[in-house]
Amino acid sequence: MNNLRKYWYIATLVMVMALLLGRYLSLNSVAAQTESPLFPGSEPPPTPHPIKGPALTALAPAADAKLRVFAQALALVEEQYAEPKPVKDLVYGAIQGVVSTLDPHSSFMNPEEFRELQIETKGKFSGIGIEITMKDRILMVVSPIEGTPAYQAGLLAGDQILKINDQSTKNMTLTEAVRMIRGPKGSKVTLTINREGFPQPRDFFIVREIIPIRSVRARVLDGGIGYIRLSTFQDQTDNDLRAMLKKMQQRLSPFKGLILDLRNDPGGLLDQAVRVADEFLASGLIVYTEGRNPQQNMRFYARPGHKSENVSVPLVVLINEGSASASEIVAGALKDQKRALIMGSKSFGKGSVQTIIPLEDGSALRLTTALYYTPSGQVINEKGIIPDVVVEEKQPSPDKTLQTLRDEALAKHMKKEGLTDKAWDRPITTAELDQDLQLKRAVEALRSWPPKGLAKQPKK
Amino acid sequence: MKRQKFHPRLFNRGRTWTILLVALALAATLCLQPLFGSPPVQGYDSLRLLSEALFEISNKYVHQRSEEEMMDGATRGMMSSLDPDSSFLSPQEYKDFRAGKKGQVAEAGVELIFKDHMLTVASALEDGPAFRAGLRQGDHILKINGQLVRNLTNQEAARRFQGPPNSSVKLQVLRNGLVKPLDLSVTLEPLAGLSVTSQMLGDSMAYLRIRYFNDDTHRDLAAAIKALQRPPAQLQGVVLDLRNNARGILGQGVRSASVWLGDKQIITTKGRIPETNKTYQGKVQDLAWKTPVPVVVLIDVGTARAAEVMAAALKDQAGAALLGEKSQGLCGLTRLQPLEDGSALVMTVAQCYTAKGQKIQGKGLEPDVPGKKAAAPSATSKETPKSLPPDQDLWVIQALEILKSGGKPPKLAQKGES
Repeated sequence: MNNLRKYWYIATLVMVMALLLGRYLSLNSVAAQTESPLFPGSEPPPTPHPIKGPALTALAPAADAKLRVFAQALALVEEQYAEPKPVKDLVYGAIQGVVSTLDPHSSFMNPEEFRELQIETKGKFSGIGIEITMKDRILMVVSPIEGTPAYQAGLLAGDQILKINDQSTKNMTLTEAVRMIRGPKGSKVTLTINREGFPQPRDFFIVREIIPIRSVRARVLDGGIGYIRLSTFQDQTDNDLRAMLKKMQQRLSPFKGLILDLRNDPGGLLDQAVRVADEFLASGLIVYTEGRNPQQNMRFYARPGHKSENVSVPLVVLINEGSASASEIVAGALKDQKRALIMGSKSFGKGSVQTIIPLEDGSALRLTTALYYTPSGQVINEKGIIPDVVVEEKQPSPDKTLQTLRDEALAKHMKKEGLTDKAWDRPITTAELDQDLQLKRAVEALRSWPPKGLAKQPKK
Repeated sequence: MKRQKFHPRLFNRGRTWTILLVALALAATLCLQPLFGSPPVQGYDSLRLLSEALFEISNKYVHQRSEEEMMDGATRGMMSSLDPDSSFLSPQEYKDFRAGKKGQVAEAGVELIFKDHMLTVASALEDGPAFRAGLRQGDHILKINGQLVRNLTNQEAARRFQGPPNSSVKLQVLRNGLVKPLDLSVTLEPLAGLSVTSQMLGDSMAYLRIRYFNDDTHRDLAAAIKALQRPPAQLQGVVLDLRNNARGILGQGVRSASVWLGDKQIITTKGRIPETNKTYQGKVQDLAWKTPVPVVVLIDVGTARAAEVMAAALKDQAGAALLGEKSQGLCGLTRLQPLEDGSALVMTVAQCYTAKGQKIQGKGLEPDVPGKKAAAPSATSKETPKSLPPDQDLWVIQALEILKSGGKPPKLAQKGES
């Protein structure tokens, strides 16, 4: 090992010298010059694949030239850019640039962004339990989550947050506000709230707690049909789903069918997708991945053995172009195994595995390392999952802006008009169904089960 | 017998990256030391981070990527992270760029920048081809002729907006607030229309509009100002409209400001190369005003570069009130630096400071008076944006009110310094 280190050391020095002398030595020749004195006599190379020429020739001369260009650019920026820039920022920019030559799902996160991501995917964070939004530059409570400190403190949907810890929210971005409200468990935050009916703004002192993010919401329908909507796949999704299914089995007797709504679910954790699909499958392949690196080839099967817990009721899965990644894995598995009837519109087509690779300074790469394939070998990436029964959703009129859509959704939400804003065991009404054509068709399919397309049993 | 835990080939590769980058860092540092002193202290650590990232990608990414491509990306990424005007041109792009400079006959009339990794319209020339096709300031361009905009420099992008007259460019555009991307088709035309126009609003107020800056703008402006002063005019105020104007380099802005201000100090640039530290002064013979007239300058988020130079100078030296919204903050000197392999860097080497010492680059100019918001700034899809005649323009009306009440913005003038 010592020999090896020495070898590299000298190689480095030679290269530095070469560069200093301005001689554009090709890497091959550098390697050739340093090789012989380092492995004198018949001493065997330290590894089965000897480190000699190949180590350095791994870089083609063209790449070597590009490296020199990079070094030249770096030196020029360091010396001549209008103002000094920390080398770290330049390197972050460079990594960002490398990553942007890859696919759109690969990205680079600086340490701060990486920390944020860790909070989001953990499925819980400590805070006070409110969803907030910015409307006309005013920070507003969308809804306090039931059972959380914010809820107990008496915050209401529509409350305006004027100050956080005495700091005005006027020029704050939403992210900044979220960051200020979050904090370690047990610590205190003061919100200055303006509410209709308050003669003047009032301070609310709230102690932060661990807040679970809810990814599973549900309703029931008359006739023993359950409706479960997954909004994301995170740490707690499988547990929450199982708990909800259990509640449904108790509440609905007979339990005649289930609608699993994956519309606009952008996905999340792969293992959660596998676990969610596993809830409905007794055996067989769920998904497999293939990458360039054999380490990335994996196959995921449904676990046999907890069959009693499996939900065997007829199942309709709703997807749309907002269903991506983990959602598509679930839909693909249930479709290929003929466990569910897939309805809605073609899914997004994001069937690639991203691996988070932390780098030494706390930043991280999110790298596409493999592609997903459904059990029948269909690649999901860019193709998406095609529903068994296509039901297009009502298109928003093209001139509606995102802002108006959001405002409408918010208004609905505040009036508790969203489908899952009501208590889960309150049956969905006909009027509500008329608002959602895809859901309506799913209910019809369950009521006239079995559908033609699903009559066959899955092949082994 | 000394087997390694790692896959040997991969191991070697990672080491290769590390070694090379370290070598280059040392070389760069040592090379520059005698010339400039102060070697980058944490350079080594930071470069190790880059080599770590390159190693992970060459090892784990789903597709094989060539080292050349990655290194190209690194240089490009580093340059674009500096500011919207800095970029890296590959040898081919540099060649095209030089060829393009010689002048394509027709264009779309847009200024483009990279903002948050998105190709963004800095300004769309009023009544120019792109403007008429529906393109607006702030639009993000996703596709050009069906091709996804990735790894493009703004110079290269700008080149795609030039071509023979009547050829067309198909764009897919993302607009803030709109749910779906828009498809637009722009027919290229030779740049037409005056850079400076003027008209009287009533008996005593004038409206001056500079749509873009070029080498003739200061002459056109001087002519327009002289015409406005011809008897029997009794000019009491001018609205200078610099909105949606990101075309024009620093020198052109200085020249035009000089028409207004004469030999006053106009703008200062500061950089790290000694010759980029400079104060630009107007020329007394350029001055076109016989007597100073109160002026309100209209700025918006499309106001950049030469227009920012002029707005800043008029505010500091002629007491002009800036009305509207914060300007873009793109005011610097760039330098083109060819590299050894035929590629080139475009790098900002100096930034503008107003006569009062405020930095413009990255910050923009704050308006003294915020412009009134129109009732509903609809971002609706197909409707062609139309420019209102000045006398119906909300901000022009607002500016006229200020001029009529003595040319000073009500109360707000004091807060400027903060």
